[in-house]
Amino acid sequence: MRRAMNSEAAPSLLGVTLRRSFTTGRFFLGYGSAISVVLGVSLALSPGSAFASTFPFLLPIFVVVGSMGAMVVFTNDRIKGVLEYLLAYGYSPRRLFVTFLLTALALSAVVLSVAVAAGLGVYLIRGHQFTTQFATLLVLYAIPMSIASSAFAATVGMLWTSLSSPRAGMNSPIGLIPLIGILPCLVTLFLLTTLAAAGIFSPAELLLIAAGVVGAVVLIVVALLSTLGRFLRRERLLSPA
Amino acid sequence: MSGPSLESRGSGPAIECLGVSAGYNGNLVLRHISFQITEPAIYVVLGPNGAGKTTLLRTLSGILEPYEGTIRIDGKTLDRSSAGTRVHYLSHVDGIPDGLRVREALNFYALVERAGPSDVERVLDLLEIRPLAEQYVSQLSAGQRKRVSIARVFLRERAIYLLDEPTGNLDPKVAREIRALVLNLSRERVVLYSSHNLYEAREIGRYVMAIRNGQIALFGRIDDLRSSHFVVGIRTLEPSNALAELPQQGDYYLKELPGPESVPDLLRTLESQGVRIREVREMGNPLEELFADAPEELPGA
Repeated sequence: MRRAMNSEAAPSLLGVTLRRSFTTGRFFLGYGSAISVVLGVSLALSPGSAFASTFPFLLPIFVVVGSMGAMVVFTNDRIKGVLEYLLAYGYSPRRLFVTFLLTALALSAVVLSVAVAAGLGVYLIRGHQFTTQFATLLVLYAIPMSIASSAFAATVGMLWTSLSSPRAGMNSPIGLIPLIGILPCLVTLFLLTTLAAAGIFSPAELLLIAAGVVGAVVLIVVALLSTLGRFLRRERLLSPA
Repeated sequence: MSGPSLESRGSGPAIECLGVSAGYNGNLVLRHISFQITEPAIYVVLGPNGAGKTTLLRTLSGILEPYEGTIRIDGKTLDRSSAGTRVHYLSHVDGIPDGLRVREALNFYALVERAGPSDVERVLDLLEIRPLAEQYVSQLSAGQRKRVSIARVFLRERAIYLLDEPTGNLDPKVAREIRALVLNLSRERVVLYSSHNLYEAREIGRYVMAIRNGQIALFGRIDDLRSSHFVVGIRTLEPSNALAELPQQGDYYLKELPGPESVPDLLRTLESQGVRIREVREMGNPLEELFADAPEELPGA
């Protein structure tokens, strides 16, 4: 009989979880990628600087949607008893959490890369310049907000599993999480649109405000991550069946 | 030792549970449970819905952390990070990852349990699921999914098997095959087997652990259980006036006896009365009384 040794560490599930998220969450990944590419290319083909000024603010919404494949796998695994099985075989809740969080971030990186490459490629081919203002918007808002919002959605969905569970009357396999995930992006859009219309702040100040919102989302995610030990109880990962 | 225990054949208890309380979100389901298991055998865990069977298996497997008490596996305090290297746990839900083919699902289990590709091929044959290997799990029937789920506990050998309703959703033929595999396992391993099926429990179990209201109501050898009423059913080849006054259940005339030792006398009496007997069988199952509301004091408790 082959005896397992206690010293054996449970192997990483990141690769297999990522692969499963690509297949099981292909609707979200395809939808997020397709819409963001269509949006980017449309804006890049339109006259003027619509792409440079609008695309970075809309992109995080679709990146968050594209990263939902991780939540689909998490919710399916919880309901079908896979997480329960993994807990029995030495995986801690924290380790499972980190695996799904990294998967969500990897999926968001895929959508982000595809959308920026397509949109920016068409924009440059059309003869536009890659301006400092556009680069600043990407670096200070679009990329960090995409990552932070995806992390926010994944963290909330795993800490409060009732929010990521299917609900009667709602055609979503992951409940409210897509709506919660895009909330920071929508709030920022609303805030910036309102402030821009008021004409109180300069574009540079508005960018700083946007970066401030990103910082706030990052702080919320960090605060939630620091409560893992308290809130991520084993019971939450068990199948309700 | 405050709870029931069984005689040891080995060098030390495989499972030792001392004053364990456990539950969900602070709500107690198991209350101060104590027992000790040493002998390789099938221990059937019985109890009504909500009694705490699944909670007991989840706690022993390290999934749930006890609120109080100690669990020792092979003399060592349960370490949740390494429990899976000593214990196999089969949940009452399938636990099969979505979006995978059967072979991929088994490869997933093999990754988790540090088993190899040859182990996957072996269990495909053992559970007779090779024809399903390239099918998506979502295309399988409930019974086929259960077989795939059960296959994973045969990927690697462990000392202790915690099986939560392993034959649920299975047709009688497959259920019988699974029981045969589990019986084979139990020759050298400790198997805790939760079931709602009293006849299955009696067929395969050597010991029964009945749980009621989160506590062990009985822990003992199934063979030692006796019904408070021993009733046999008599089926005859032709109607008989000698049995006409007895109550009937289907084709059987029911006769209450003091115990199994009275059966030969009954047979002799019936023969002398000219009754042509086709079959005599025990009606009812002593385990049924474990589910009855009435007796608070169960035999052996």
